Amino acid sequence: MEPEQGVTAEPIDANPLRWLYSIFARFVARFWGVIIILGAWQAWVLISGYNAIVLPPPLSVLHQVATNLGLFAFAGLQTLAVAIIGTVIGMLLGSVAAILAWYSRLFSGLLTPLALIFTAVPAVALVPVIARLLGYDIRTVIAIVAVISFFPSFVFTGSGLRALPPGSADLFRVNGASTWMQLRYLALPAAVPHWMVALRLGAASAVLSAIIAEFAMGTSGLGSVFSEARDSFDMTRALGASLVATIISVIGFLLAISAERIVRDRWD
Amino acid sequence: MNSGDGSMAKNLLTGAVGVILFLVLWQVIGAYRLAGMGWPTLTSVLDVLATPSRFGTFQRAVTATVRSVLLGYVAGFVMGFGFALLGHLWPRLKVGTDQTTAVIHAIPAIALAPLLIVFFGLAATPIAICALNVFFLVYNATSSGLLSVNNTHGDLFTAYGANRYDRFRWLELPAALPSIAAGLKLAVPAALIGTILGEWFGAPQGVGLLMVAAMQNFQIPMLWSAVLLSVAISLSMMALTSLIEHYVSHRFG
Amino acid sequence: MSVASIQPTAPEPIIGTAGIPAINLDRVGKNFRLDARREVKAVSDVSMNVGKGAFVAILGPSGCGKSTILRMIASLDEPTKGTLSVLGTTPADCAANHRMGIAFQDHALLPWLTIFDNVALPYRLAHLKADPGRVAQLIDLVGLAGFEKARPKQLSGGMRQRAAIARALLLNPDVLLLDEPFGALDAVTRRQMNVELQRIWSEQRTTTLLVTHSVDEAVFLADRVIVMSGRPGHIIREVAIPFERPRHPDVMRTVEFHHLVNELTEALHPTEGTGAP
Ligand SMILES: Nc1ncnc2c1ncn2[C@@H]1O[C@H](COP(=O)(O)OP(=O)(O)OP(=O)(O)O)[C@@H](O)[C@H]1O
Ligand SMILES: [Mg+2]
Repeated sequence: MEPEQGVTAEPIDANPLRWLYSIFARFVARFWGVIIILGAWQAWVLISGYNAIVLPPPLSVLHQVATNLGLFAFAGLQTLAVAIIGTVIGMLLGSVAAILAWYSRLFSGLLTPLALIFTAVPAVALVPVIARLLGYDIRTVIAIVAVISFFPSFVFTGSGLRALPPGSADLFRVNGASTWMQLRYLALPAAVPHWMVALRLGAASAVLSAIIAEFAMGTSGLGSVFSEARDSFDMTRALGASLVATIISVIGFLLAISAERIVRDRWD
Repeated sequence: MNSGDGSMAKNLLTGAVGVILFLVLWQVIGAYRLAGMGWPTLTSVLDVLATPSRFGTFQRAVTATVRSVLLGYVAGFVMGFGFALLGHLWPRLKVGTDQTTAVIHAIPAIALAPLLIVFFGLAATPIAICALNVFFLVYNATSSGLLSVNNTHGDLFTAYGANRYDRFRWLELPAALPSIAAGLKLAVPAALIGTILGEWFGAPQGVGLLMVAAMQNFQIPMLWSAVLLSVAISLSMMALTSLIEHYVSHRFG
Repeated sequence: MSVASIQPTAPEPIIGTAGIPAINLDRVGKNFRLDARREVKAVSDVSMNVGKGAFVAILGPSGCGKSTILRMIASLDEPTKGTLSVLGTTPADCAANHRMGIAFQDHALLPWLTIFDNVALPYRLAHLKADPGRVAQLIDLVGLAGFEKARPKQLSGGMRQRAAIARALLLNPDVLLLDEPFGALDAVTRRQMNVELQRIWSEQRTTTLLVTHSVDEAVFLADRVIVMSGRPGHIIREVAIPFERPRHPDVMRTVEFHHLVNELTEALHPTEGTGAP
């Protein structure tokens, strides 16, 4: 290996204007699509002269959120908490089912086609069904999120448990390791990276499905803020709830991605 | 691992037993009210589905929903594929297309619904939400598929002096097809979710509307019938896309 | 017959039919950046000429930069130092003019095309009208007649490799680059492929650069063998191979052949030389 030659840190530009411009350029390169959509929206509102009840401009939505920060923060945290609890429950159940399927060939045979059928079920169709079973409150919201994260967890944990390093299963069997030891020292560690993929997939939709369920239940979280605002024709507030919901779902997704990256770096 | 014809037949059999057990469980829970009044027996749901006087209602609802799903699915595919091509063929735009898609996806569909109603009207909102859901999955499948080119194949094209278009046409596009087909399969439930959600916002017809009506009138077997209809639509589209995926991954994988 | 061993300090006299070098490397070096702080010196100060119509083989320990040299000639990597020309122009121009043929250890056939279409692919990329007769003739030449409609998946490893060679020869390239094209094959198939490549090459006399780990293969096929040192790779030995063409496989049984193989093996692993007879 050669000693490195002339690697310098990226120079911080002396000219603050140029520095600002480079930040601006990077921002545009990243978000030009969003900027175009928002710009078109604002322009359309201005040109068509819709009043704020039908379609408020994006700037007044921002203003709404800024002035009602407490309300939105509380509802947002509620939604986030429900999404996390539901995801944890769903992933635990999914993992347990996957371990059972790993342990028992019969169980796996019984469950696999059912799981395949259930992945085809449009999750929102279950909202009214579960609401009738559990009641029109936060439990239904949690249950919906759990159902939605159950299947990725079941499928990915299942394939992870079987994704062993080549030859290792034979090594364990030759040494007479118990099934428990095989699970503990071989299958579970192999499943962890797959499990993180399931977490990422679940997290992406957890907040979104929580909001849908909250919207249908109308009792808690951003979804109910949205539905109340809509019922009283306060479109600005409804869109404010959407904005906060978007931010929270992005945060949830980013959290899951970084968790996945940390685990993958440790594991490889 | 044991595989082969014998175990394949055995797997099918255990699978069928699993499905039958599930149906029996459904019936028993309903019959003994183990889950309360909200869980109907399988037979009462089938009764509703088999009532001749309801055929017209079901048929209209299913036709409307299937129409929305198909239109939204195709529109979402065209948009997702096109947007992914844009980012792929003009790499400077790639960061932007990635970010835009992620942001659009992160907006809750219920939040977009009011906007979509303003822009497209009540009847087309299910199509629009369906298209948005499909758009996201197809965009991701296409753009990751286009990048999945094997390095040596890429080197081969460079050494043979392939231009940008030929590289796309003869290498990147075929290499992306398995990923795109997998995305199309994944997009089926998402398409139905979008359509049903859109119908909840007041579409004049559709399976989603049937659900809302049944829920408000406490018609539990009717509610479950509507859910079963949506599952049937989804399953048949899944079966079709699975066939396509199987063919494509065999041919191009 | 005499064995010409030359010290690599100066560019070599050209061995080949014509006087113009098809490939010329002048003090070429290549560093790979690993991250912001570290880089790997893969190749350092390599100068060589490959004359028109010559067959040159490169031997060297694993990781010494053989593939890197080949990749730079094929315009797949840029040198960090020195200059490199192919047919009097830059490698990129040469590739853009579709004058190169290349085959790797990985056959790199496109799984979605038939063998016929795979072999015919260079026509497409060069925007030339496909000549089905020529494609069929090449497929026949590499012994794949009857498999035109098959897909790569349906062929054995050796058959795929032969299809890759046929593809590399399709456009009558001015430069043929082969990076361990038989590396993944078993010894018997490999020997067979060597014999076939020798036969094909003796008919076409395409300028060829072959990277290989097999000393036998290099001596049997090449006019000149270049031996490289461990990383950073540079040339430590060049040996001219004097056998007449076309070469019969029996050449491999001759004393001269074994002499050459021993000499090159010795150059490759100098530490083992102490106890050798
Ligand atoms: N893209 C790359 N990035 C970083 N380092 C590289 C890269 N390609 C090659 N190297 C390094 O350059 C050196 C030479 O690699 P090269 O592939 O040319 O060796 P080689 O002689 O072909 O080896 P082998 O006989 O095993 O194929 C190696 O140390 C390798 O680690
Ligand atoms: Mg190599």
